[in-house]
Amino acid sequence: MTIDFWGLGLQAVNVLILVWLLSRLFWRPVAAAIATRQDTALTLINTAKATQAKADAALAEVTQTRADISSERTAVLVAARKEAEAATSATLADAQAKADALLAAAKTEIATETETARKANAAQATDLSLDIATRLLGQLNSPTVQAAFLSQLLLSIAEMPAADRAALKTDPNGVRIATPTDPGAEKAVMEKTIRDSLGDVALHFVTDPDLIAGVELRSAHFVLHNSWQADLSQVRKAVKHAA
Amino acid sequence: MNSPLSSIILFQIGPVPITQAVLITWGIMAVLVIGSALLTRHLALVPDKRQAMIELIVTTMDTQIRETTGTEPAPYRSFIGTLFLFILVANWSSLIPGLEPPTSKLETDAALAVLVFVSVVWFGVRGAGVGGYLRSFAAPNVAMIPLNMLESITRVFSMFVRLFGNVMSGVFVIGIVASLAGLLVPIPLMALDLLTGLVQAYIFAVLAMVFISATVEDGQPDPAPSLQKKVP
Repeated sequence: MTIDFWGLGLQAVNVLILVWLLSRLFWRPVAAAIATRQDTALTLINTAKATQAKADAALAEVTQTRADISSERTAVLVAARKEAEAATSATLADAQAKADALLAAAKTEIATETETARKANAAQATDLSLDIATRLLGQLNSPTVQAAFLSQLLLSIAEMPAADRAALKTDPNGVRIATPTDPGAEKAVMEKTIRDSLGDVALHFVTDPDLIAGVELRSAHFVLHNSWQADLSQVRKAVKHAA
Repeated sequence: MNSPLSSIILFQIGPVPITQAVLITWGIMAVLVIGSALLTRHLALVPDKRQAMIELIVTTMDTQIRETTGTEPAPYRSFIGTLFLFILVANWSSLIPGLEPPTSKLETDAALAVLVFVSVVWFGVRGAGVGGYLRSFAAPNVAMIPLNMLESITRVFSMFVRLFGNVMSGVFVIGIVASLAGLLVPIPLMALDLLTGLVQAYIFAVLAMVFISATVEDGQPDPAPSLQKKVP
């Protein structure tokens, strides 16, 4: 057995060359491709982790923002509720004040109307009373009553100031003697009695049923009231003044 | 049939005889180089089936180296991987009629063994320095230096003898059987020869890796002894 050392050397060189060539053409490129893919995958994973972290942070921020919005909403609702309560209270107070004012005005108006009605009732009652009195007194118109009124007239003439009595005398139209009914036969007696008390003056008799009962002296500028009509008028004025 | 121990000289380039094994080796080199160039032309980030296949080869090789040495496979990948691929293709080249695998010749296996021996020295010196490499002969103690030096030769010798014996015997047996019954009968033996070729390529590559890693590890300086308090 012999060994071909040329062949041994050649084969060694061949394998060395093959090692070098395959290292350049096969092992390194494929290993580099694998390493590149691993690096890329690692980069992608890191990027994904970073993105995930950003997403988590964004989610946390959104969650915080939502919590803030919720608390802000609650605060706004509380503030709005307080404002609404204040507005309601103010409105209620205003309405209460207006209602009180209206009530007071109504009370005042009612009182006024009541007073007006009372006065009207009083006036009506007065008128009614006077009408009744007029009718009743109308039935009492007798010569005795007329004689009493005549005496009263004479007394009033006597108490008149001298200036007024002189003014009656100087009236060119004379003095009218008003009676509720025609005195008839009593006319001459009455004329004499009045002339005796008043002096010489022209006297004219006039009939005025409104007097009810009594005797009055009337001139252009003077009236000496002496009748139940005048008395009732005084009563009406006094009642109205009292009301 | 020619003697398996003799080489057929086809022609000479000057004083250098070109044997059939050398010529077939060139052919295998051409196939491997051209095939590698074609397969790795368009490597993409997203692999297709072709790229996935060649990446599977590289990944498997890296895994084997990592499990054998416990270190990163990059420094050893080209040498160990090329040894494996070359021996595998060379062993399987016997399937082509008329071709004798180069690994069935002494010169080729001896050349591979020499390369492993040189690579052990190279990686040992590169990994642990000259001193570290020389120190690897004194593992586990100085008394083992002669035996370790002898072992560094005998182990590579046993590698090439193992490879040569297995491949040559397979070729020889198939040749004998084919000369006796050439139709169908050699097929089981050829299938067995395929398995043998794969196993022998794997064994050769793994042994080379073990020798290299053992030398690198033995050349590393011993870790400083840690002070430990004795517990009574």
